[in-house]
Amino acid sequence: MNRLWKEFSKGLWKDLPPFKLVLGLCPVLAVTKTAYNGLGMGLAVIFVLALSNMLVSMLRRFIPAKVRIACFIVVAASLVVCVELLMQAYAYPLYLQLGIFVPLIVVNCIILGRAEAFASKNPVHLAVADGLGMGVGFTLSLTFLGSIRELFGSGTWFGMEVAGAWYKPVTFMIEAPGAFVCLGLVLAGMNALTNWQRKSKGLEAIEGPVHDCKTCGMCAGKPGM
Amino acid sequence: MQEILRMILVLSLICSLSGLTLATVRQATGPRIEEQVMTYVQGPALKQIFADSDNNPVADRRAFTLGDSTVTVFPALKDGQLKGVALETSGRGYGGDIGVMVGFSMADGSLRGIGITTLKETPGLGSRVVEPEFRDQFKGHATEPIALQSQGGDIAAIAGATISSTGTVAAVNDAVRIFNQLKDKLPIAWGS
Repeated sequence: MNRLWKEFSKGLWKDLPPFKLVLGLCPVLAVTKTAYNGLGMGLAVIFVLALSNMLVSMLRRFIPAKVRIACFIVVAASLVVCVELLMQAYAYPLYLQLGIFVPLIVVNCIILGRAEAFASKNPVHLAVADGLGMGVGFTLSLTFLGSIRELFGSGTWFGMEVAGAWYKPVTFMIEAPGAFVCLGLVLAGMNALTNWQRKSKGLEAIEGPVHDCKTCGMCAGKPGM
Repeated sequence: MQEILRMILVLSLICSLSGLTLATVRQATGPRIEEQVMTYVQGPALKQIFADSDNNPVADRRAFTLGDSTVTVFPALKDGQLKGVALETSGRGYGGDIGVMVGFSMADGSLRGIGITTLKETPGLGSRVVEPEFRDQFKGHATEPIALQSQGGDIAAIAGATISSTGTVAAVNDAVRIFNQLKDKLPIAWGS
């Protein structure tokens, strides 16, 4: 149980996909014009990530090492097409908003990254917990970023009027450069918070990027590749 | 050798399972997706054309066979009377096909207006076919002849977007051709 919670919760802060691992940035930057879009995209990713982790983990003993990436991609692509069809059938307006970024979930680094780094080496229940945690973290991040951009960029939140009529929306925020600026500010804020926490514990502040190789494994343990 | 066989076997198995799953999901969601596309793509265009109808043209639509193709016709009713119909055609634009919903008035067979359903034209140029300035030229227009001013007609093309304008006009003329072939069957189909 303890282990299960650990694998789930690491996706919520310690390895928060877009902000800590800085993975899967394409949808993070592209669809977070509104909080609603961010949430919708996040839910699609939770579905794909949890199920792909589950399937990859279930199949991990049958898949020969040499064709494992091809197998992972087939699994992820099938799930993404399922999501696309279901979204068209039950949430067509959202599908129109997200457009090409739904099929692009296939090439989202997080999906393949978690399959390769975690699910293919761990039992099913841990893989599902990992996928759910990462997915929920991803969703929260996208919704958060979308909320900031929507608030400043259009003065609304989930389509509700928040600012009064006096507020002049900063349209820069909902355009592409605004996404980068916003992401940068969030990363800076998170780093400042981490350092403040470390300082209050009497630890040294972190300068420059840190990366925990244990949880990633994308470079096969050979940094600098 | 054995390893290669194993790889082929596993990969083929996974791919065929995936194909099976996708075919099932597609079959299950197909009708619903068609309904959704009609509501969100054709629906708004129809609303632009028939602002005063009191039925749901998408729900009341009906397919007609014409030669070896089928045409979907959307009716606009008011107090149970068939006031107009619309059908969708497409013309070749600059960035792909332009889908045009063309509405006809049942009273005199004139155009009730057009709405754009599919558009991949250049933003700011060809995409301006959706603007009322261009679209409204078709409102109340007689069904023949419809042509751009440069072709001797009276439709003003969008400056810098001749291909998009021509494509839209071609789609409208196509719709007129279909409408003329179906005209007599329509009132019977919706019982008025």
